[in-house]
Amino acid sequence: MEILKNPNYDFLGKAKIFVPLSVVLFLASIGYLVLHKIPYGVEFAGGTQLIVKFTSTPQIDRIRDVVEKTSPGSVIQTFDDPAKNQVLIRLPGAQSEEAAADLTGPAERVLAGLARDYAVNTVRESSSEIVGPIVGAELRRKAVQLTLFGLLFQLIYIGFRFGGAVWGAAATIAVFHDVIITLGLLVLCGYEVTLNVIAALLTLVGYSVNDTIVIFDRVRENLRHRRKDSLAKIINDSVNQTLSRTLISNGTTFLAVLGLYLFGGEVLRGFGFAMVVGILIGTYSTVYIASPIVVWWQGLRKDRRPAARAAL
Amino acid sequence: MPPALQNPFVLWFALTAALAAACHFGMRRELRVRAALYGSFLIACIVACWPPYGKDGQPGKIKLGLDLRGGIHLVLQVVTDDALNAVVDDAVQTVREQATRKAIVFTSAQRVDARSFSIEGVEPARVKDVRDLLRDFFRDGWDIREPGEGRFAVQMTENFVRQIKERTVKEVIRTLERRVNQLGVAEPVITEHGNRGDQILVQLPGVTDVEQAKRVIKTTAQLALKLVEDTSPSRESLLQAHNGKVPANMEVVEGAGDTPGQPVYYLVRREAVITGRDLKNARAGVDPQTNGPEVDFNLNAQGAQKFGRETGRNVGRRLAIILDGRVESAPTIQSQITDNGRITGRYTAAEADELAKVLRAGALPATLKYLQELTVGASLGKDSIRSGIMASAAAMAFITIFMLAYYKLSGLNAVVALFANLLILMGAMAYSAATLTLPGIAGIILTVGVGVDTNVLVFERIREELRNGKTVRAAISNGFERVWITILDTHATALIAAAFLFQFGTGAIKGFAVTLVMGLVANVFASYFVSKFLFEWVLGRRQAATLSI
Repeated sequence: MEILKNPNYDFLGKAKIFVPLSVVLFLASIGYLVLHKIPYGVEFAGGTQLIVKFTSTPQIDRIRDVVEKTSPGSVIQTFDDPAKNQVLIRLPGAQSEEAAADLTGPAERVLAGLARDYAVNTVRESSSEIVGPIVGAELRRKAVQLTLFGLLFQLIYIGFRFGGAVWGAAATIAVFHDVIITLGLLVLCGYEVTLNVIAALLTLVGYSVNDTIVIFDRVRENLRHRRKDSLAKIINDSVNQTLSRTLISNGTTFLAVLGLYLFGGEVLRGFGFAMVVGILIGTYSTVYIASPIVVWWQGLRKDRRPAARAAL
Repeated sequence: MPPALQNPFVLWFALTAALAAACHFGMRRELRVRAALYGSFLIACIVACWPPYGKDGQPGKIKLGLDLRGGIHLVLQVVTDDALNAVVDDAVQTVREQATRKAIVFTSAQRVDARSFSIEGVEPARVKDVRDLLRDFFRDGWDIREPGEGRFAVQMTENFVRQIKERTVKEVIRTLERRVNQLGVAEPVITEHGNRGDQILVQLPGVTDVEQAKRVIKTTAQLALKLVEDTSPSRESLLQAHNGKVPANMEVVEGAGDTPGQPVYYLVRREAVITGRDLKNARAGVDPQTNGPEVDFNLNAQGAQKFGRETGRNVGRRLAIILDGRVESAPTIQSQITDNGRITGRYTAAEADELAKVLRAGALPATLKYLQELTVGASLGKDSIRSGIMASAAAMAFITIFMLAYYKLSGLNAVVALFANLLILMGAMAYSAATLTLPGIAGIILTVGVGVDTNVLVFERIREELRNGKTVRAAISNGFERVWITILDTHATALIAAAFLFQFGTGAIKGFAVTLVMGLVANVFASYFVSKFLFEWVLGRRQAATLSI
């Protein structure tokens, strides 16, 4: 079985349509993320998140009444499979210095309140995540820093391996594009940005670059044999030659993370979503974004020498 | 199984020997060495990680993270100012004692902040004596300044401050280790955390009574027995006899009274008769008069000597037992006591037991503040394991079906490589005692996806070579050769991303990075070398005309 036999599509020709489209999507994502505040998970925002397992089906309204008494402004919702009788309670983070000193107080008061005022349905087990404001802020800073450093080091590595900063820059721009658009879609679909989501995005950085490198590697190989062809033609051919690999590899990885998204449980839902979306966008950007950037860059330099010498 | 084979190394050696013999007789010369080496490595991985998952209370070889087995994860901040305050207080005490001994008079000597103290109003004739005294006692770690008019300002150097902070954090860690040991937690983690130098990470896997664990960790347990001068229901009336001021060598401490909500104030000597440091042992006991729970303690030799001397001198007076700045009780000294005593208060049996435990483990040199708390219930952890296994199984099934359908028999090669990849990953995790977390399971699934990529790269290249009219043999060898560089580059960049993930240092994400890194390395071995070997083995020496790909 083969999906594609000797494909020969004009990918670079389509760049005229897709690059502007990507620019629009990218800017829209950034705009959306800036306007619509990024909903951080408890580990970044600080505050308290409880997952409470009740003996029988919990009545959300009654629980809300109890929780509101000690922590107004809390979010209460069913967690995971309703048959598991689990409720997620998110308490707002501490606003003042004194409140921050009593980090575990709100959670203890909520649990005490439930034991007292909702005694008919006892709490069987509770899990909690309580994050002070210092830790949250530190983690946010670290997340941004590490993602950017990760991108920078990959840029350097690729630039070094392919003997030109433009290759690194093209791959990095494509990946940055993937990360921002994935993040935008994630927030649009109502997911919180948690540590797991950040992990997914960083993995995406690694995975998405993989794809681009496979194509660039092929370009490098072709440049050695076909010194007469233009860089644009060589790149377009290389994309075609690696196309079935691009589709199959990403297809199988897509299947793997789809399994994760569907069966990985509530905790990994955001992670799974980010990976599923990220792989789709990553595949697209590999073909339509990274390669045109290299061609465009060489054209900008008005360098009419055979591409082989200009690039290597 | 014979007992000798229970030893994993012996078991590995026996299996490897059997495999080597099989290879010697059953395999072509050029494949023998590789077959034995790869096989022996995979056997080592199986032996290392078997059984992966614990049963009936027996721990498995794969260490599960807190999010999978339940437990507590705390990030605490050590309030190092407490320790600095104590050092400055000690220094002031030394100055006062030495001044009294040398008959030097000044208006005051007191602590200014956590790092400095001042002496004021030294009579001009004795300024030199004070200067000598300070030089004798505060030569190292202190800056002594003289702004004039009989004043001295003494401040700790930055170096000394840092030393004290480091020492305090280390001491807190040691104390917490002793306390946690008494809770009977298996495999606790107590280490420094972050790079601010004052944070501690405590992980207690499998702990169910969260409240008790938190209490045992956070109680400062500073015990001091001090002689009572006076008691009164209010602070004001207590100080009336002293013109409303606390006398220099005394202090006021609050304690619970007979009626709840009505505190009693005690005026006590500042200097303690004995402190928690003088204890040899403490245990929960029963008060013979009231049958209520209490804590009995023994003193070490030095403590017993001091206690004997002071109680003998002060029969009939009351002695306040102060724990973490509160008077627990203030019994009257009936007769001279030397090496043991009792702490009574309004305790439940469990509280008395806990108090005994923390007293045995020793006091914390500084108070602790919570920065982060994560507790995972055991059933939530079990749910996570179940979903993780489900997701992994689904991913494996999807990929296996696809690879077999698309690449036929060569797809089987990829699936074998995939299982070898997983085996190596498990073996490496068990061997290095790395922790498997829920994101770590996600990392494994991703490894499965990325692992297949290597096979796909090779297979597509082989197909291309076949289309260009190469023989099966040449196509395979060219295919593997040509993609080698690509595989190196893709794995290197993925490793860069994983390395930055590792920098996060947070438990669960670290677990993800660890599985990702190990998976990437295992993948190069399994999907490249093992897969290549399988091709050569199956195709044999004959000139195959077609390849099932």
